[in-house]
Amino acid sequence: MLLLVDHSAPVLSYHTWYRVGSKHERPGKTGLAHLFEHLMFNETKHVKRGQLDRLIESAGGETNAATWTDWTHYHSELPSSELPLIVRLEADRMQHLVLRKPQVISEKEVVANERRFRVDDDIEGQVSELLYATAFTKHPYHWPTIGWMADIEGFTPKDCEQFYETYYAPNNATLVIAGDVEEEAVLELVQKHYGKIPATKLPRYAPPAEPPQRRERAVQLERPTPAPKLALGYRAPSFRDRDYPALALANDILFGGRSSRLVSRLFRDEELVTDAHGSVAPFTDSGLYEIWLSLRPDKDPDHALRIVEDELAKLCRKPVTRAELEKVKNRMELGFLQGLETASGKAEQLGFFEIVMGDGAALFSRLESLRAVTARDIQRVAKRYFDARRRTRISVVPERPKSAAQRAKLAEVAS
Amino acid sequence: MSAGSSGPVRFQTSGGTLLLVEQEHALPLVHLSIILRTGGVHDPVGLSGLTRLTARMLRMGTRKLDQAEVDERIDSIGAHLGIGCAASYVQIGGAVVAHNLEPFFELVAELIKSPAFRANDLARAKRETLAELMSICDDDRALAARHFRAFTLKQHPYGRPIAGTSASIKRITSRDVRTHYKRHFVSGNVIVGMAGAVTPEVANDLVERYLTLPRGKAPKDRVPPPNLDEGRRILIVDKPERTQTQIIIGTLGSHVRDPDHTSLQVANVVFGGLFTARLTHEVRSVRGLSYGASSNLGHDRQRELWTMWTFPSAKDAKGCIDLQLRLYDEWIQKGVTPGELRVAKNFLIKSHAFEVDTAQKRLDQAVESALFDLPADYHSGFSKRVAEVTRDSANASLRKRLSRRDQAIVVVATAQQLQPQLRKLPRVKELRVVPFDRV
Repeated sequence: MLLLVDHSAPVLSYHTWYRVGSKHERPGKTGLAHLFEHLMFNETKHVKRGQLDRLIESAGGETNAATWTDWTHYHSELPSSELPLIVRLEADRMQHLVLRKPQVISEKEVVANERRFRVDDDIEGQVSELLYATAFTKHPYHWPTIGWMADIEGFTPKDCEQFYETYYAPNNATLVIAGDVEEEAVLELVQKHYGKIPATKLPRYAPPAEPPQRRERAVQLERPTPAPKLALGYRAPSFRDRDYPALALANDILFGGRSSRLVSRLFRDEELVTDAHGSVAPFTDSGLYEIWLSLRPDKDPDHALRIVEDELAKLCRKPVTRAELEKVKNRMELGFLQGLETASGKAEQLGFFEIVMGDGAALFSRLESLRAVTARDIQRVAKRYFDARRRTRISVVPERPKSAAQRAKLAEVAS
Repeated sequence: MSAGSSGPVRFQTSGGTLLLVEQEHALPLVHLSIILRTGGVHDPVGLSGLTRLTARMLRMGTRKLDQAEVDERIDSIGAHLGIGCAASYVQIGGAVVAHNLEPFFELVAELIKSPAFRANDLARAKRETLAELMSICDDDRALAARHFRAFTLKQHPYGRPIAGTSASIKRITSRDVRTHYKRHFVSGNVIVGMAGAVTPEVANDLVERYLTLPRGKAPKDRVPPPNLDEGRRILIVDKPERTQTQIIIGTLGSHVRDPDHTSLQVANVVFGGLFTARLTHEVRSVRGLSYGASSNLGHDRQRELWTMWTFPSAKDAKGCIDLQLRLYDEWIQKGVTPGELRVAKNFLIKSHAFEVDTAQKRLDQAVESALFDLPADYHSGFSKRVAEVTRDSANASLRKRLSRRDQAIVVVATAQQLQPQLRKLPRVKELRVVPFDRV
């Protein structure tokens, strides 16, 4: 349990991080960690269906959750006077969840709708899913956290029960509490409600090794969109790797702010894109360095790709200037401070570092580790990771005009 | 100051600009919010998008700096700057590490005072905007929202697309931009807010030294109360290959100064403002029809819209609309229950702590009050007003403000699938279909 006392406002943020995400699933059962996140808001032996949300909302609070590759994260924001309520509710659903067939069926339908919303009818969602599915052939990062539709439809209450018994236990969880609370009161309540929950025997996480990628993998899609899109995925280090901060700064040199190298070229100078961003996957295992470009209608994606490659090559060839390095470090500092403005922000950051880095306190030295990155470090990681032979590329091209008959039919409908 | 403070310190600068400062020194960070009391509603007829384009051009360079130099300076000092345009205002907002506040403010003030408005920059801004308009076609939710306002409010200023249309953007000239700027960027039309690690004295000094705009008052509000066409009207935004739909159903809401506005806010929380609210419960929890389902009571200087939003699969869309319309009718006719009212009031009163837990949020409230000319106790007295809402007052507000007859329904979907089904809805006065890529 991590506790950060902050009396600046009469609120608290209560986070429970479970060390289970989509990478702990197996083929045929993808999306189970995420479906389970939904089911955790249903019913327990002591709290009827729908009551958890109602109790929290009546107390002036809000609650939600998120699942990703490495973790599942439940969080509630409440007035600080409601600490006993949230400790009781979270401890209760850690040990007394009731999984009935109607709830599982209904929640599967909700998740199927979520998948349509986030993936099937969203081009960036589709591309992101395909990027990982293509880049990873063996490792569990191959499948999406939300799961394949066929797997979502196939889950049974028994699948859910087994998952719960395996992963939902105090030895697989970290509590993070930030806000206007007193240490003694927190410890007393946590001991009272969680103290007797037994630990489980956790399965060993041993993912299959991802075979080395030696050639670029490329996929092209045709979709109903007015403009082309391009996604690139380069092999990237784990968040725990010492190369990660330098690669994060390299990304900021390319995509951080309007003066960054690629944003200024692609948006301002060449007028090629409406959206361009990059990010290093913050995963416990090696992930991808992702680049996303949404082009303007009728612009050439190959030209945009050449510009990206040119800028990546420059980072490999020549160290960045001192001024440029200072600029991205200043931007990182701003982002870091903004992440700590609310109790919720503090709790989330602490929990994330605890789960992904294995050390919550690493949050407080993160700025220092970013400040320590040199121009040579950036050049070194650029050379190491910006290798087009180990890249995955997904292109989206606008759907070709329909046949004359199809167009006539559409026009008829439109009229 | 902390969450318990009595609100931001107010100044009237010598030029007539209102300055609001909320201190919080826990982190070395300052938020800046410069508000212009001019928004999309002030676009001249036929030139929708002019305010947004003018605001956007502020960061494309000053008489001394070109856009690349502006971008470089902002990023170099570890600052963030964004310019947004809403119906009734423009916000030039940002954040900066505290020790760089002065160079940041000096630069932002320069952008506002001395924009270059170069002809080639305008041409570029127009091309950017046109490309963005096309990119909306990829976002079904944004498409639904854009069409909903235009379809519901028609020629009313609130119905105009803030970003403009392809045709209106192409019509805008350099002269339009300069004239619009000259008329609206005057000292009395601006509110400056700062929150975080800054004292009122420092903030006042910065504004006095750097942000000297020509004297002038805010242009008069010309926005009349909006009206809705009679009957139930449906628009399908036709997009191929949709497995899912985006549905917005709405009608007129209330004015923030209406005496029953708070009662309607509470009633709305009962209907679709919580995860356990009626709409969310019936649509998502009971039937699993849509991942999200919520309702919203908009507010602005004039009466705004009340809307509900869902996104069921294409096969469930008609059933979901039927359910929503039934729930809506029951809500208006039978009102809220005592239990629902209690939960909604508890939520609004107790969650108020999260409306004021950071300096930036406290500043935002004060800025909003000044911008919309809200009563002095609009935010500070909110909990008290909620406590006074009764079941009778909530139900009366529903019957008085929300129409069961006049409604607009906008659906982004593949029309071939859905059009025949939607024709079967009762009391449909109009059903139109537009292609998704007509922007």
